[in-house]
Amino acid sequence: MPWASKDTLERIKHSFRQINIDIQPHFVCINVEDTKDITNILKHLKDVEDFRYFIDFHVIDFPKEKDRFLGQYILVNPYTFERLAVKVWFKNNKLPTAKEIFAGAKWAEREAYDMFGVEFEGHEDVKRMFMWEDYKYFPLRKDFPLGGIPEQKLPSLTEVLEGNTMPPSHDYDIMHTYVPTIKEIEKTEKSRITKRGQLVLNWGPLHPGTHGTMWFLFDLEGEHIIQTDVILGQLHRGMEKIAENIHYFQFLPYTDRMDYLSAVCNELSYVQAVEKLANIEVPLKARYIRTMFAELQRINSHLLWLGTGALDLGALTVFLYAFREREKIMDIIEGNAGFRLTSAFLRIGGVHYDLAKGTLEVAKYFVKDFYSKLKEYHGLLTRNRIWLKRTKDVGVITQEDVYQYGLTGPVARGSGVAYDMRKIDPYAAYDLVDFDIPVGDIGDVYDRYLVRMEEMYQSARIVEQCIEALEKMPENEPYVNKKHPAVIPPKEDVFNDLEDMVKSFRIVVHGENMPKGEVYSSGENPRGELGFYIYSIGKSSPYRLRIRSCSFYNLSVFPKVIEKHTISDAVALLGSIDPVVGETDR
Amino acid sequence: MASSINGNGFITTTVDELLSWGRRNALWPVTIGLACCAIEMMHAAASRFDIDRLGMIFRASPRQADVLIVAGTVVNKVAPMLKLIWDQMPEPKWCISMGGCASAGGPFPTYSTLQGVDRIIPVDVYIPGCPPTPQGLIFGLLELQRKIREKKVTRYEKAFEEFKKDLSPELLSGIGV
Repeated sequence: MPWASKDTLERIKHSFRQINIDIQPHFVCINVEDTKDITNILKHLKDVEDFRYFIDFHVIDFPKEKDRFLGQYILVNPYTFERLAVKVWFKNNKLPTAKEIFAGAKWAEREAYDMFGVEFEGHEDVKRMFMWEDYKYFPLRKDFPLGGIPEQKLPSLTEVLEGNTMPPSHDYDIMHTYVPTIKEIEKTEKSRITKRGQLVLNWGPLHPGTHGTMWFLFDLEGEHIIQTDVILGQLHRGMEKIAENIHYFQFLPYTDRMDYLSAVCNELSYVQAVEKLANIEVPLKARYIRTMFAELQRINSHLLWLGTGALDLGALTVFLYAFREREKIMDIIEGNAGFRLTSAFLRIGGVHYDLAKGTLEVAKYFVKDFYSKLKEYHGLLTRNRIWLKRTKDVGVITQEDVYQYGLTGPVARGSGVAYDMRKIDPYAAYDLVDFDIPVGDIGDVYDRYLVRMEEMYQSARIVEQCIEALEKMPENEPYVNKKHPAVIPPKEDVFNDLEDMVKSFRIVVHGENMPKGEVYSSGENPRGELGFYIYSIGKSSPYRLRIRSCSFYNLSVFPKVIEKHTISDAVALLGSIDPVVGETDR
Repeated sequence: MASSINGNGFITTTVDELLSWGRRNALWPVTIGLACCAIEMMHAAASRFDIDRLGMIFRASPRQADVLIVAGTVVNKVAPMLKLIWDQMPEPKWCISMGGCASAGGPFPTYSTLQGVDRIIPVDVYIPGCPPTPQGLIFGLLELQRKIREKKVTRYEKAFEEFKKDLSPELLSGIGV
């Protein structure tokens, strides 16, 4: 049972009279009527009711309401795995900060300020999270257009240098949104840290070791870091804003481009949320196919972590070995989805294609082979003396940190918190397969390494079981639930059946209106819990779609853990947290 | 190479030809990954595709590189920093725009995304795809090699013309220009 039970809700109601309880099929929340009470209620929930696991904080904008902004916390009880949302209205755009109660709220509040312009009393460090310091607008407000406000002329330099071509090289608008100057970026950098040590060192944003475009500022005393801050937003593309402007099914390819290393897992989390909202049943075959591909993708993602993580610490060989296996998995995905990386393979209500001929044989061979390859990686690293020295007792994350900062995935499991959505709230076919959750002990880099290695082994086990189940199924079993009005029929039916063609045409052009309501649903990504919160007002696109990003919260513990350690440990720690910028920034 | 080998084992060619031959066969890209395309760029450098075969080695410093592969979405915030890296690269240099986002904004017509990297950096080769496969990237690199062979190094000459403007006439006659 992933949501708070009736008993718990009644107990809370008993302690606080001034709250309302709202129970929906896939969402349970308490509405706090008076903004002043929120600190007390959060403290009570954390200390008395044990909702100590911070999952998310986000804001919804209602321009026509009196108080306009609605804040929402999502908390989890890590002992019973109950989940509960807490809603509270902002008073005059202000809310008391929760960063003393949940440390993870610090970054979440920064993000809320950046996107909505709301303020937090008692949070003196509210800075722009994704945009730069002088940026004038608050993009996620409802009155801000998706395309931004064009302010400057920015012609294509190719045309300026080579002259206009006929026909034009591409059709583009010469007016562009404001691009900051390097001075403004420097101002953003200076506003983050007040120097206390000898030197402020920039790591990133365009550095091969930062896994993309993260920007770290280290205040150094000798080689030791005394304070640090992370500047994000070098890949902020406005995913949540896009989602509000397009139909539900159109957002699916965008989820691929968030955490681009685990495309299928992202899709799975998203389609799951929409299916819960629209109440769509998924055929058994599609569930198995989804599970199989999600697990292949998990192996794929962990292999990249292994390769680059080892590369950061100086072991180039592992990188080449890991990419050898990645190519094989990508071939299996490409053979079925037609795309290597951003596959867009799943659909709301099923999967896009039936399994391609020969997939099961190839996958079977791959898994059989993979066990021996896994041994090879263990042989390269697990008892390697240099590897042990660089990772043992480095970057220790405690259980309290996990709850405070809302860490999930292998980072949480490495510290001994057995929090895995596949077991707690089984989706796809995870309730039909057998697997174990590896859990670490101390919570250092080495533990997280072992957890991920073991996860790859368990994933391979799941893939094996899925292949077995799929082999037994008759060939013409349905792989998409096309009877539901919100599901686009498979392509082969669209071309052969008039009714399906009309339905496909209708959904693609107009979208299908979804029922009113709220859904928070999450899946276990290779990096942690990827959650989608959908606020639907009965239209064909969501009123608000919040992406609870696992990399974002996992990274938020970085400044705390790295304090008093050396720069070389920072590389090892970041490699073991394994954030993906596409998802931290969205 | 438009050249001939005579009986004694000598090659005769023009300096231009020789320079362009050397340049196009040792293109060193900067190691910069912006988004999804960077993963495919890594794949192009890793086990199966191995672009080392084409004389391409990724360099971590822009000062040592002559090709900028813009792999991924360029957002407004990162644009000035990318431009800085482009300015730090020594001439002659080339830019490859990899994927739909870098070429024209791709699927992100939003408030925060730069609609095509050619707004800030002149691009030599555009590679379509979201993301392009490693084969696509290698094709783009081969196209760049062809471009260097056919077009010579025009931008280098332009830079030299600019350089000459600043020099005094006596100095110019001194170096025989």
